[in-house]
Amino acid sequence: MEQFEQLLTCAICLDRYRNPKLLPCQHSFCMEPCLEGLVDYVRRQVKCPECRAEHRIPYQGVQGFPTNVTLQRFLELHIEITGELPDPTSGQVMERCNVCSEKAYCSFCSHCDKKICEECKGAHMEILRREISRINNQIRRGIHRLQDTLALVEKNTQSIQANCSSVSEEVEEIYRRLSKALKDRTEYLRGEIGRYMGTEMRSLTNLKENLEQEISNILSNCDLADKHMNENVDIWDDCELMDAKEIFLKTVEFIRNFEYENTDYSRKIRLVLAHDPNQLVLHVAGFGDLNLGNQHFSQGSGMLQPPGPGLMRSKSDHRLASQFRQQEERGYDRGYGDNQEEPLLGGRKFGERPKTTTTDRYGDRYGRGGNDYGDDYDNDTRPPRSRYSRFRRHVQDNDSDTEQPTRGVRFTEQQKIEREKVLDTEDVARGPLSGITRLADSPRVMKKLQENESGKKKEKEAPPPPQPAPQPKVVPKRPPPPANRQVSEEDEIAKIKKQNKGATTSTETETRPAERVAAEERHTTTQRKTPAPEAISSPEESDESVTSLQQTQRKTPVTTKTAAPTRRPSDAGHKKSTRSASSDSNSSTETSTASSSAIRSTGAPFTTEEVKQKYLSRGNADTPQDTRTRASSTVSNKETQPQKTFQSRFLHNKTTTAPPPASKDDEETESSSEEETESDEDSDDNTTSKKTDTKEIAKSDIGPLLARSANARDSSTENARRSSRDETPTYTRSRYGIPKEESPVRKYGRSRTGTTSSTVQDEEPARYGYTSRFLNKSKSTATLQPDEEEHKYGSTLGEDSDSKYPTGRSRYMALKERRQRLARSRSSQQFGDEEDIDEPISPTSSNPSAYLASKGYGSAASSGHDLARSRSSHALKSRDNSPDRPSTTEKDGAALSSWARYLKNKYGNRNSGKDKDSGTSSMSPSSSSTTARRLSLGLPLRSSTELGSSDDDQKNMQGSPTTPPTAVTAAAGIAVAVAGTSPRSQYLQKCQQLFEIGSRGSEAGCFTWPRGVAVGPDNSIVVADSSNHRVQVFDSNGRFLKEFGQYGNGEGEFDCLAGVAVNRIGQYIIADRYNHRIQVFDPSGRFLRAFGSQGTADGRFNYPWGITTDALGFIYVCDKENHRVQVFQSDGTFVGKFGSMGSKEGQLEHPHYIAVSNTNRVVVSDSNNHRIQIFDVNGKVLSSFGIEGSEDGQFKFPRGVAVDDQGYICVADSGNNRIQIFHPDGTFLRSFGCWGIGKGEFKGLEGVAMTPNGHILVCDRENHRIQVF
Amino acid sequence: MAALPRRIIKETQRLMQEPVPGISAVPDDSNARYFHVIVTGPEDSPFEGGLFKLELFLPEDYPMSAPKVRFITKIYHPNIDRLGRICLDILKDKWSPALQIRTVLLSIQALLSAPNPDDPLANDVAELWKVNESEAIRNAKEWTRRYAMDN
Repeated sequence: MEQFEQLLTCAICLDRYRNPKLLPCQHSFCMEPCLEGLVDYVRRQVKCPECRAEHRIPYQGVQGFPTNVTLQRFLELHIEITGELPDPTSGQVMERCNVCSEKAYCSFCSHCDKKICEECKGAHMEILRREISRINNQIRRGIHRLQDTLALVEKNTQSIQANCSSVSEEVEEIYRRLSKALKDRTEYLRGEIGRYMGTEMRSLTNLKENLEQEISNILSNCDLADKHMNENVDIWDDCELMDAKEIFLKTVEFIRNFEYENTDYSRKIRLVLAHDPNQLVLHVAGFGDLNLGNQHFSQGSGMLQPPGPGLMRSKSDHRLASQFRQQEERGYDRGYGDNQEEPLLGGRKFGERPKTTTTDRYGDRYGRGGNDYGDDYDNDTRPPRSRYSRFRRHVQDNDSDTEQPTRGVRFTEQQKIEREKVLDTEDVARGPLSGITRLADSPRVMKKLQENESGKKKEKEAPPPPQPAPQPKVVPKRPPPPANRQVSEEDEIAKIKKQNKGATTSTETETRPAERVAAEERHTTTQRKTPAPEAISSPEESDESVTSLQQTQRKTPVTTKTAAPTRRPSDAGHKKSTRSASSDSNSSTETSTASSSAIRSTGAPFTTEEVKQKYLSRGNADTPQDTRTRASSTVSNKETQPQKTFQSRFLHNKTTTAPPPASKDDEETESSSEEETESDEDSDDNTTSKKTDTKEIAKSDIGPLLARSANARDSSTENARRSSRDETPTYTRSRYGIPKEESPVRKYGRSRTGTTSSTVQDEEPARYGYTSRFLNKSKSTATLQPDEEEHKYGSTLGEDSDSKYPTGRSRYMALKERRQRLARSRSSQQFGDEEDIDEPISPTSSNPSAYLASKGYGSAASSGHDLARSRSSHALKSRDNSPDRPSTTEKDGAALSSWARYLKNKYGNRNSGKDKDSGTSSMSPSSSSTTARRLSLGLPLRSSTELGSSDDDQKNMQGSPTTPPTAVTAAAGIAVAVAGTSPRSQYLQKCQQLFEIGSRGSEAGCFTWPRGVAVGPDNSIVVADSSNHRVQVFDSNGRFLKEFGQYGNGEGEFDCLAGVAVNRIGQYIIADRYNHRIQVFDPSGRFLRAFGSQGTADGRFNYPWGITTDALGFIYVCDKENHRVQVFQSDGTFVGKFGSMGSKEGQLEHPHYIAVSNTNRVVVSDSNNHRIQIFDVNGKVLSSFGIEGSEDGQFKFPRGVAVDDQGYICVADSGNNRIQIFHPDGTFLRSFGCWGIGKGEFKGLEGVAMTPNGHILVCDRENHRIQVF
Repeated sequence: MAALPRRIIKETQRLMQEPVPGISAVPDDSNARYFHVIVTGPEDSPFEGGLFKLELFLPEDYPMSAPKVRFITKIYHPNIDRLGRICLDILKDKWSPALQIRTVLLSIQALLSAPNPDDPLANDVAELWKVNESEAIRNAKEWTRRYAMDN
C-alpha cells in the first residue's frame, strides 16, 4: 500500500498527483506548481527531475504535455478505496497570489479585493476578525449613545406629550378665560345698558308726568282765568288777583324759560369698543399661535446624530464628528423627520411656521417627506449606500489633508465595487435609521450558527469567515473614521513632536530660568515692600518661597508676628502690615473664608469650602458657641427686630449703589471694630492663656496666618499687589465704586471704632485728636434708641452682607444671604443687648485653633454669630487676660487673623477702601482690645503706655510725617507705586513668552487640543486637555503635577471637556462639553458631583464651553449653543441665566468663555458677535466693546477671556491669533502675538487665564500647548 | 515569510519518522528551513567513527533549487574545503527537484566514502590524496579523530 501510495505521489511536491502530466521520458509530475517550476523558459525546455532528460515544451506550455490518464485513474481508484476526500483544489488552476506572489490555488478575498492564496486569505480574515472585534468594542462603548438617545427620545416623547397637553390646557384655559371675559363683559354691558335705560326711562317718565301735570294745571288755570277774567265775575278780590297774576306771570316765565334739554335724553348710548371689532375678532380668532421652539428641532436632530458620530467622537475627533453630523443631519432629518416630527407638522397647521432659518429645513422636510421617505427606505439597498457615499466623501474631505489611505479608505474602496453582500438580503431586519442589518437575521449567519452549533464544521470555519466580508457594510461608517483618524493623528503627532522637540526643550530651558528669576525678583521686591515698615523680619521671609504672591502675603503676617514680640512701641507698624494682609483676606469678601479660617488652624492654605459645607462644618466645630448665640438671640426680647432689619437692609440695598453715607460707614465700622477687638482678644486670649511666651504664640499663630493669607490669595486674584496696595494710605482705589473721600471717614471711624465704639460708653473721647468726627457720629449712633440701634446694626450688617457681594443687589445672592442676614441681624441684637449672656459662655473655647476654627466658621456662616461669639470670647479674655495684657497687645498681630477674618466677612469688598486704614486699624486691635476689655469689665484697664502707643500709631497713620510713620508711609507708598504701576506696565511689557507647556500627545504634560485653562488657588495651572479627555494640573512653573479624567460619560469621565475653573477652595469645575454637564472635582481630582444634561431648560446645557467661578463660588457657564450664560451655586443649583441668541445688547451668539472680576463684573466673549460683553451678576449689560476686525480693539471670534485683580481684561482674539489686553473700562491697552508655531505665536486660541502674579496663560490650541507670558 | 510549503513539511515529517541510518536532520526551532544535520562517517572510510555536523538550508524556491549544505565539523576531504563547503554535483548543476534532503545527505555520506580528488575543492588535500593517498587517508583519520570524535 505504501508503495502504491508512493506511486501516486509526485516526486517534486511529495504530494498526491494533481493533474499529472506525462513527460516524454514517461515520468509524471503535477502540472502545477511542480512541472511549471521546472520550466527553463529561456531554452523552452523542461528537465525531468528523475532522469534529467530534457524535453521541449509544447507550444501551449506544460499544459501541452499529455495528462497521465492512467495515473489519474489510479488516483481516483485510490480515493475510492481509501475513502479520502477529494482534493478540493482539483480542477482549479493555480495562480499567483496577489499578496505573497506565491503560486497557489487562489480565491477571491473580499478584504483586499484580490485573488490571493489560502494563507494570505487566512491572515486577512484574521485581520478582519480583529478589526471587527475592535470595532465591536467601539460600538459597545458607543452604543450608550443610542441608548441615551433612546432615553432621550422617550423623554422627548413624554415631554412632547406633556408639552402638548400643557399647551392645550393653556389653550383651553385661554379659551375659558376669553369666553368668560367675553361673557362677563357682555353681561356687564347688557346690565349697564339696562340700568342706563331704566334710569333714563324713569327720569323721562317722571318728566313726562310732571309735564303733563304742569300742562293740565296751566290749562285749568288758563280756563279759569278765561272764564273769570272775561266774565267779570267779581269773585276774586284783589289779593287773589294779585296772587293769580303772580301765578300767571310765573307760568309765563316758566313756559318761556322752560326748555327741555333734549340733548340730555337724545344722547344715544353707543357701544364703544376699545379695539376695532374686526381686529378684536381677528385677535381672538388668532389669539394664539403655536410656535415650535427651534431647540426642539436642533435637539431632535442633535439627538439623532449620536449613532453615527458617537463612535467617532469616542475617538476624540470632534471636528470630524461635527462635520459628519452636519452632513448627516440632512439625511437624518429627511429620513427621520417624517416619523418623529409628525406631531409638529400637525402643530404647524395650527399656527404659523416659526420664522427661523430652520423653517426651510422643516418645510423642506415636510414637503418632501413622502418622497424622501420612499427614497430612503422603500428602496432597500439604496439608503445605506448613499449614506456610505456621503460618508466616503466626508472622510475624504477630512482626511485629504492628513494621511495616506488606510484601512478606512480600503473600506471605502470596497464599497465602490458592487460586492455581493451576503448578509444583506431582504429578509433581514434593518435598522430603520442606519440601515444596518441585523446580523442574526441574516439567513447565512443563521445557517452558519446552526452549523456551528451542530458542530459539523470546525469552529474556525464557521461564522467568523463570512462576517469579515459583510462587516464593512454592516458598520460602514464607523470603522473608517477611527482608522483614518488614528493614523492621521499619530502621524500628526509624530510630525509635531519632531517639530516641537527641538523648540520646546530649548524654550523650556530658556524660559524657565527666566521665569524663575522674575519670580525671584518679584519675590524680593515684595519682600522689601512688606517688611519695610519693620526691617527686622527679613530672614524669616526669605525662608518661605513658594510663589512670589504667596510669599508676599505670607510674609506680611509672619513678619509682623516675629517682629511683634520684640517691639511693642512699633506695634502700629506691625499691625499695619498684618493689617494689610488681613485686609487682603477681608477683601476677598468670601463667606467661604470662614471655612478656610477653620482650616486655617490646621495650616492648610486652601481647604476652604463652600458655604454649605461651611455651614455643616460650623455645625460641627461650632456647636457650642453657635447654639449659644442662637439661644441668646432667641432670648433677646426683640424678636421682631430681625425683620425690620431685614427690610431696612433692603432699603439700604437700594441705596448702597451710591457710596454709603458716612454715618453708615461708621456704624459698620463700629460694629466691626468691636468685632475686631473682640476677635483680637480672642486670639490673644487663646494664645496668651496658653503661654505668655510670645514666640510660641507666634508659632502657633503662624499656621492660621499663613492659611489666612492663602485664603486671601484664594479669595481673588488680587494678591500681593493688593496687599501692598492696601498698606498705602494714599491708595484710594475702591473696588466697589466707593469714592475716595470715604476712606478718610472710614479711617477715622474704623481706626477708632475698635476703641471708640466702646469708648463712647467709656467716655474717653479725648484720647485721640481726631476722634471728634467719629465721636460725633458714634454719639449720634449711641443716642439712638436701643431699638433703632439694633435696627441699625442689623442694617449695617445687612449692608455688610450686601457689600460682601459688591453687587449685593443681585437677587439670588440676596436670597441666598437672607438666612444669613437674619441670623446676623439677630446676633447683632445680641451684640447690642446680651453681652452678659455671651460672656459666660465664651470660655468654652480654650484651644486657640479650635477657637479660631469655630470662629471662622461662625464668621463665614453669619457674622452675627461671629459677633456674639467673638464678643463673648473677648469678654472672657478680657477677664482672663487683663493681667497679661502687655503680652496680649503684642499678640494683637496674631489676633488679627481672626479679626481680619471677621472684617472680611463683614466688609467684604470695602476693604480695598479701608486698606488705607490698615495702619490705623492695625493698631485698633490693641486699643480696641483693651477698650473692649474695659467695656466688658467696666474697668479702665488700659495701660497708659499702651494707649500712648496706639495713639501714636494712629497718629502716624494719620500721615503726620513724623519719623516712624514716614518710614511706614514711604514703604507703603513704594508698595503702592509698584502695585499701581505693575499691572499696566507689566502688560505693556508682555510679548515675550516666559515658557510654554506641552506638545501634542496624550502622555502626561502633552495635550491634544487643549481648551480651557485656569489658575488654581495655589497658582497651579489647570488645563482642559480636551481631546485627551482629561484635566492636567501643572505647578506655576509648568511642571506636571497631576492629571485626572478619561474618556466617557460616567463620573469623572469627560467627553471633550472645554472650560475649567478652580474655585477658591481648589475644587476643579469642568465644563464637560459633549456630555453637556458640569463636573466638580475636589482638589485632589476626585469626582464630587456633576450636574446638567443636554437641553435648553434651566440648568441644562448645549455644549457648555467656558466656565468660571466667582469669589463666592458661584459657577458661571457659557452655554454655548444655547447662547446664554447660566449661573449656579457651587452645589449645582441653578441660580440664574442671561443672554439669548442675537446680536443686540445683552444678547449673545456662541458665547465661549467667561470670566468674573473680583468686582463681580462678568466678562463674556460673545464670540460670533466679535465682542466682549460685560454684565453684572444679574445679567444686566454694563458695557461691551469690540467689533469685527483686526485693528486694535477689534476681534475676530474672540474666545478666552480673563480678568485680573485690577480689572484688566485679557482676550484671546482667536481669529486674529493674538492676545489683547484692555483696561478695565474696555479701552485697548495692547496686543501681542500672531499666527504661527513659534514662541509667542498662536494657532487657534482658546482659553486664557491670568495668574495673580500677572502672568498670562494662553491656550494655544492647534499648537497643543500652553504659553505663558 | 510565506508559510512552509507542504513538501518541506512532508520531508521533515518523514525525516523524523523514518530517519536514514547514520544521518540525523533536525529542523531548527526558529527556522523550519534550517536543519541541524549530523552524518556519521561511513564504514570502511577514513571518516569512520566520526560524527560530522552539517548545516542544511532550504532556499526559498526549494525544491526547484538545491539546498545549501555545509560541513561544520572540520574534515579532511578533497571535495570539502576548509570552510566546509561541499563540491557535489547534485548540490549544483545536477540538482533535481526529485531529490530530497535525505537523498542529498545520503549523497554526502557517499561522498565521504568515495572522495573524488579529480574534482577537488580543497586543492592541497586533493593533491595529497592523489600523490600519497595513504598519507591523505591518515590525515583524514587524524582529523576525524581530532575533530569529529569527542564531541
